[in-house]
Amino acid sequence: MTAAGGGSARPVILDQIDASHRRARRRFRAQVVAVWVGLIGALFFALWITGQIDTDWMAEWAPFILGGTSITVLICVASIILASALAVLGALGRLSANPIANGVASLYVSLVRGTPLLVQILFVYLALPQMGITLDALLGGILALGFNYGAYMTEVFRAGIQAVPGGQSEAAQALGMPERLVFRRIVLPQAFRIVIPAVGNDFVAMIKDSALVSLVAVQELLWRAQRAGTSTFHTLQAFLIAAAVYWALTIVFSFFQERIERLMARGDR
Amino acid sequence: MPTMRKLALLPIAGLILAACQGGTGAGSSSASASADASHSTEMSADASASEDTSAQAYCDTASGDDLLKSICDAGVIKVSTDPDYAPQSSVKPDGTYEGFDIDMANAIGEALGVDVQFETPAWEAITAGSWAGRWDISVGSMTITADRKAILDFTDPYYYTPAQMASNDDSIQAVADFANQTVCAGESTTYVDWMEGNLQLVDAPPVEPAPDGITATTLPTDANCAEAWQAGRSEFTGWISSSTTVQAAIDSGIEMHMVGDPVFYEPLAVAIDRSGAPHDQLLAALDDIVSTMHEDGTLTSLSEEWYAGQDLTTSTQ
Repeated sequence: MTAAGGGSARPVILDQIDASHRRARRRFRAQVVAVWVGLIGALFFALWITGQIDTDWMAEWAPFILGGTSITVLICVASIILASALAVLGALGRLSANPIANGVASLYVSLVRGTPLLVQILFVYLALPQMGITLDALLGGILALGFNYGAYMTEVFRAGIQAVPGGQSEAAQALGMPERLVFRRIVLPQAFRIVIPAVGNDFVAMIKDSALVSLVAVQELLWRAQRAGTSTFHTLQAFLIAAAVYWALTIVFSFFQERIERLMARGDR
Repeated sequence: MPTMRKLALLPIAGLILAACQGGTGAGSSSASASADASHSTEMSADASASEDTSAQAYCDTASGDDLLKSICDAGVIKVSTDPDYAPQSSVKPDGTYEGFDIDMANAIGEALGVDVQFETPAWEAITAGSWAGRWDISVGSMTITADRKAILDFTDPYYYTPAQMASNDDSIQAVADFANQTVCAGESTTYVDWMEGNLQLVDAPPVEPAPDGITATTLPTDANCAEAWQAGRSEFTGWISSSTTVQAAIDSGIEMHMVGDPVFYEPLAVAIDRSGAPHDQLLAALDDIVSTMHEDGTLTSLSEEWYAGQDLTTSTQ
């Protein structure tokens, strides 16, 4: 009776302190949100009173610009899938004892990471046709982005695989697991958990880099914003709309990334 | 432990799934690319009864592996356009295009009896050749130059635009005042060639050289120069573009003025990639369509409609 009572009978003052901490945290968060709203509101107010916001123009052109969002998302999703596949192969190559696989993978990483993404995109679009390889602009853009990010993610995956403690595979081998099975069942799953945050960061960066594809006339978000803005000389509003969409996309993605990270981190306990 | 292992396997399963989808996804996305991403606009050619006979005629003569034959068989001609050149070509809020070149392209489609599908590649991709069937012809107010003739085949000119200089600096009132000044132009345009002394027009009167010490600076497309002035930038004091593009910028309220008379008149024509399929029949058909449109006044009325009453269809000033 006394033992059970002693465990549960927390002094009231502790509950009050906890409640006070929670209130303080809530107040702080509300203040941060208020600062955001205030800053963004002030920006729009400044634009409004200087006559930069033309609501008629917005109503006419916003749907056209926003229509590019789906193409931007398509480019990002297709590129990240391609990049992940290349990265797994690249990481295996980088860690391979086979000189050919290792050479191919390390050359890929060095070449792609050593040249600007913009050069790669323009190369696919303008230079490859002169060699007789003509890709559709959208497909070319996806290939260039996926190829580029695949190289960066190769290094992420390689580091992830190497970060799995050696004792893990040694223990599995001691239990008689064949080497391939050790890699597939023991190393790779743990490596994936380690690389998720880094891959998420790459994906956010890719959402933004997908804007480069507008240069080769893929009619995504930025292309549409530029065409609408330039032809009507409303550049500021057009870019504001495009920027807002990119921002929203990264916020939405970061939200999901955080949840996945939390889910994966559960295994650590 | 088992739940953790399942969880850890999830991304692998996801990746394999993703890889499989990646294979099919790439295919379907490329298929939807022309319809979706490039937002092609198809205009049905409402050929009138009288034109039906001539429309039949062009396609009836098509034979062999000529590009004309494949266009007629497909029932659609793919035309490249750069929608940054109002009033030649610009995009509308619904994603379709309008302008002088757009009407010209639609008239060609109508005369051939095929639909028109617009593609919007970057300008350098058009002038660089190697189109590889991504589009059939360029109806983009392209100037015929000796350099371009090595890569592209041109029809007879369908109109002539005056190259006009402009400035936002009140002290510049004559073309000669641009000596030792920086002047903006669109990338890969004849205006840059002219300023750098490399302009060789074909089938056109001789061109006065640019003022001494003029420096060309380029932005991706002509209208970007006016945009830079609008934004308050001052890296350059001059701009050279077609008089119609300059006028459109002035009309939109940007503070600038035209300087002097046009410095040269450019013959503008429909272009076909030389490295593509044989196209002698297509070129002959296009020449015929252009000359018919010159004769029956269609081009004059189109010019007057889009260029504020000016008839730009003759090379004489």
